[in-house]
Amino acid sequence: MQGLSINPWRGVPQTAIAAIIVVGVAMLAPAQGYYLNILMQASTYAIAVVGLVVVLGYCGQISIAQAAFFGIGAYGVALGTVDYGMNFFVAMLIAVVFAGVCGLILGLGSLRLGGHYLAMISISFQQILTLVLTNWIPFTHGPDGVRNIPRPRFFGISLEGGNAFLALCLVVMVLVALFAWRLKATKLGRAMQAVRDNDLAAATSGIDVFGTKVIAFGISAVLGAIGGGLFAGGFGYISPDQFSFAESIVLLTMALLGGVQSPFGALIGTMLLVILPETLRFLKQVYLAVYGAAVILIMVFLADGLWGFVDERLRKRARPIAGAVPRLPLLDQTGTDSDDKILVVDKLAKHFGGLKAVDEVSLAVRRGSVHALIGPNGSGKTTFINVVTGLYVATGGTISFAGRDITKLSPHERNRGGLARTFQNIRVFRGLTVLENVMIGAERQGNDVADSPDRVLARALAALEFVDMRGDAHRMIGELSYGHQRYVEIARALAGSPDVLLLDEPAAGLNMTEKVALGELLKRLKGHGLTILIVDHDMKLVEQVADHITVLNFGKRIADGTPGMVLSHPDVIAAYLGEPRNEAA
Amino acid sequence: MTNFLQLLFNGLGIGAIYALVSLGFVLLIRAASVVNFGQGEFSMLGAYLLVIFFNIFGINYYLGMALSVVIMAGFGVIFAYTTYWPLRFRGGLPVIISTIGASIFLENMVLVLYGPSSVAIDGLFESDGFEIGGVFLATQYLAIIVIATILVVFQYLVFEKTLLGKKLQATSQDKEMASLLGIPVVFMILITFAYSSAMGGLAGMLVAPLLFVSVNMAGIIALKAFAANIIGGYGSIPGAILGGLALGVIETMGASYISVPYKDAFAFAMLLAFLMVRPQGMFGEKISEKA
Amino acid sequence: MILTRRAALVTAAVTPFAIGRARAADTLKIGVIAPLTGVVAEPGRIQLNSLRLAAAKINAAGGVMGKPVELLVEDDASSNPGAVLAFSRLAQNQDIVGFIGSIRSTVMNAMAPDMLKLGKPVMFGGTDPTLTHQGNPWLFRCRPNDSYSARVIADFCVNSLKLKKVALVHSTDAFGTGGKNALLPNLAKMGVEPVLVQGYANNQPDFTPVVQAVKQSGADVLTSYFTNEPDCAIFARQLRQLGVRTPWVGSPSVQSPVTRGLAKNALYGTYAVADFVEDSNPQALSFANDYRAAHKESPDSGWTYDGLMILTKAITDAKSTDPTKIRAAILAIKKYAGTEGEYNFDANGDGLHGYNIVVNNNDKIEYKQHIEFTD
Repeated sequence: MQGLSINPWRGVPQTAIAAIIVVGVAMLAPAQGYYLNILMQASTYAIAVVGLVVVLGYCGQISIAQAAFFGIGAYGVALGTVDYGMNFFVAMLIAVVFAGVCGLILGLGSLRLGGHYLAMISISFQQILTLVLTNWIPFTHGPDGVRNIPRPRFFGISLEGGNAFLALCLVVMVLVALFAWRLKATKLGRAMQAVRDNDLAAATSGIDVFGTKVIAFGISAVLGAIGGGLFAGGFGYISPDQFSFAESIVLLTMALLGGVQSPFGALIGTMLLVILPETLRFLKQVYLAVYGAAVILIMVFLADGLWGFVDERLRKRARPIAGAVPRLPLLDQTGTDSDDKILVVDKLAKHFGGLKAVDEVSLAVRRGSVHALIGPNGSGKTTFINVVTGLYVATGGTISFAGRDITKLSPHERNRGGLARTFQNIRVFRGLTVLENVMIGAERQGNDVADSPDRVLARALAALEFVDMRGDAHRMIGELSYGHQRYVEIARALAGSPDVLLLDEPAAGLNMTEKVALGELLKRLKGHGLTILIVDHDMKLVEQVADHITVLNFGKRIADGTPGMVLSHPDVIAAYLGEPRNEAA
Repeated sequence: MTNFLQLLFNGLGIGAIYALVSLGFVLLIRAASVVNFGQGEFSMLGAYLLVIFFNIFGINYYLGMALSVVIMAGFGVIFAYTTYWPLRFRGGLPVIISTIGASIFLENMVLVLYGPSSVAIDGLFESDGFEIGGVFLATQYLAIIVIATILVVFQYLVFEKTLLGKKLQATSQDKEMASLLGIPVVFMILITFAYSSAMGGLAGMLVAPLLFVSVNMAGIIALKAFAANIIGGYGSIPGAILGGLALGVIETMGASYISVPYKDAFAFAMLLAFLMVRPQGMFGEKISEKA
Repeated sequence: MILTRRAALVTAAVTPFAIGRARAADTLKIGVIAPLTGVVAEPGRIQLNSLRLAAAKINAAGGVMGKPVELLVEDDASSNPGAVLAFSRLAQNQDIVGFIGSIRSTVMNAMAPDMLKLGKPVMFGGTDPTLTHQGNPWLFRCRPNDSYSARVIADFCVNSLKLKKVALVHSTDAFGTGGKNALLPNLAKMGVEPVLVQGYANNQPDFTPVVQAVKQSGADVLTSYFTNEPDCAIFARQLRQLGVRTPWVGSPSVQSPVTRGLAKNALYGTYAVADFVEDSNPQALSFANDYRAAHKESPDSGWTYDGLMILTKAITDAKSTDPTKIRAAILAIKKYAGTEGEYNFDANGDGLHGYNIVVNNNDKIEYKQHIEFTD
């Protein structure tokens, strides 16, 4: 375990140094004027842009309303201090909480909707907010805006001077950047990235996809409002047109230009886009056209922004983590086949319109056994697994797991209960390293190590050791071959110490050598008594490992029993050889 | 009562504009799964082309329209190659953002070339309109309603009844599979962009006499057309027109009977309500689940 | 090689500095914040042309206190943050003695705190009345503010046209709301309660609900504060299509060349208040002729021209570039004949106190009358 613990102070010394430097910069800037204003603008915008990094970069949810949250923060501070005589920070707190709530509500929109719908929801929110700021004159002062917004005192230190207030803005910016940077490597941060990369795999790895999105929206809104509150104090005057749809687009572009995967990218992008228009003034009108073209070029040539370019080079220097780790708890068990039925499916049905993809199928998986579900293509095997893991809602029937009815539970709740799976078409988190992929499996709620980041790390390494991939832990998963990605997917499931592992056609897409190795791996798992429900039509693999076989055809169960019994069943032979089915069957 | 009828007619007129712009969206959504935030700029460009042909070169109005439609179709292909093609394998979000970039680029290029002032242009007919029972019927609105209806029927027939339509649909649903079936996927996608751009341009030319021609003439309209599309049913052709008409009537009525300054809010509030309660829209299919 | 490069760098670093110092002694520097890019770039261009015309005229006459006037222009990018940055950049230049600000009130509001801190005179054109009433002694307005346009509209409707059933249509942006807030009390003073006060949001494709509201209100005179010209034109056309023929007295956008070009005959016969009208006084006519000679188009405003003229006159009068002395000299200016009318600066810094009324006679803008207030 030594040498494997995660440093809790990671980044803090650097942040402290950065904070000292920025305070110095702020103090040395001219007391008023151009540099002060430009730094004030850049730092407050940057805070809001870091919010976009969280929601868009980490969680992959588009939000075109960041200027609205920025505006809520600014108006909260402005109205609170000017009209209601509140303390600056109290007003800001109220605004931030309100923005957070709005962000959560916006996040609720992501319950069933993604992509363009979410873009539209956020645009609508943005437009409505602009209309309210403009038209609710008794409360917001309307289009004239709010002026003479005071700056606060902070524990006896006056922040009324431009330098002192700029120092506050810059320090907050540094802290926010540290927060976002560290968030990325936490359980929540990994969950967000998992949701971004593959929401189905995230859900079946125990991540509450919806909740994670809502939290990401909330954090993003809060950061937007903090930036806006400081902006109001910094400039002393705000009006609705500063928080319009167009500004949201500007903030979005800042995030994309710098690199939406990292707060450092946000800082770079913001600085560039605040300073660029100033330095590119000679381009006059063409500037905005150049800017539009740049957005396209960035998307095409710099998918991860400027920072992404740097980050890729930094990552090349990464090395595997050394140090021994305790082996998987599973390996300390020995296989015992019992009569205890851990997963019982009763008359399960799934209809798509008129098509009965799964038609009243029942089966029972015994603890410690390897149960195979086979059938020709299109027989409903994958649909069955999807219903059992909660990706599809059952049309009828019940599923009980370890004595509990899980028919109505969501996928992540089923996973947290101990049901893990892999997918026919590998579903891994492409934006993450091999190790991070497996850590997501290890930190599923309910796992024995979930509460300790150090032990999660050790468990993930152990799972990788088990599939003989520890040497690749630091690599991006996309760099691996298909077969190796399959192992990582299995390691992810194993790291969560599941009670039952569902393997959906694990041999699909593997070459002969890899198939043999997979067979060996399955035998090892079986030897340690892991309960497995395997779907495949590779009979060779199934015959090697299965204790029990259920056969589906056209969504119906046509046979169920021991391998010898099932494989000699005439209906099964007919189904597999493609002969016309017996009318009576 | 005449007040109500007048509001109803003009609401339908403005709704037909939304529907018309929306039709350009629908096709791109259906065939290429692309949400094009530059759709409004297609309309703006189309209107400027007509201004160039008719106001400046003095070419016959209808010939000018035809020429503009052809040029816009070509422009759609260029748009596809620059904005969509390099990003086609990277999912929806990068394409959305790149179309936003394209929209900023186009708006500002036209601004540089043409300046910010609005330009007036003649309508399809000499007469502005006529009155029946105290209700003024503007001819341009009538024309837009009729043309939008014809185009909806046309687009519906092409999509549902012709081989080309089937190929386009297949391309939209699964590009790999379509390609295996021998459908020229690249060609299909380019056709879609060309058609969508031409449609957008046509819509711009039809609304230009009403809204005048300016750089940002279509910005808010495109946004509302997209809203109309979601309300009607995302990617549904009948949904596009009914969503557009419903939106036009509701915001006109809402403005008149509730509040004019909040007029734009009705559209977006209606959209939010639909998204939260019935995201598949009036005519949409259930959002598909796929594992 | 290294030596040459260093030498070049040193020269590059020193030269602008040296030139800056050398020229500083030679010219009288005026800072200008103008929209060169963005949505209001077009009026910005005309304002800048007018300023250059004024500067050329002053310099041809020997400059100010023996020095030629030099304009240092910064782009506000048509936005508030842009303006704040533009102003702060100019504010760094110690040699600037005064500024020409913006015609947009929100932009002025955004820059006002920094202007107060800097403490140098700013001539501006934004017409939000409160700008000169917030205790900022450095703001001097070279256009009549909206309270006067409102008073003139009210006065013209009630006293000249003798119509009292007034409907008001206004944009809900800063300009339109400011106009509404100024008009209502002036009407109230004359005992008139408007039959309709209708706001709308900018950039509407259709004005049917607003027109129907006007039609149903039974108004016999329509007043308006439209910000955007296309909005005004669409409204005008629909107003006429839906059969409203009442007299219309509007804010300047009703008679702007752009609106007339768009709305054509729908605006015939309408009245508008206008701060700048070519045939309203000889100064305006002479300025307009000079402008046409230089730029082949007619100016739509003369406030920046007047602003620079007044600022330099004040410096000449004060015989000093000390801000406090310039301020005193500006406030002392009375009965100065400018292109926008007769300037009589009051203690708040408002130079003009009246408006012209013009009428659209078959697309020709005719000067009708000037209404001046002394209180």
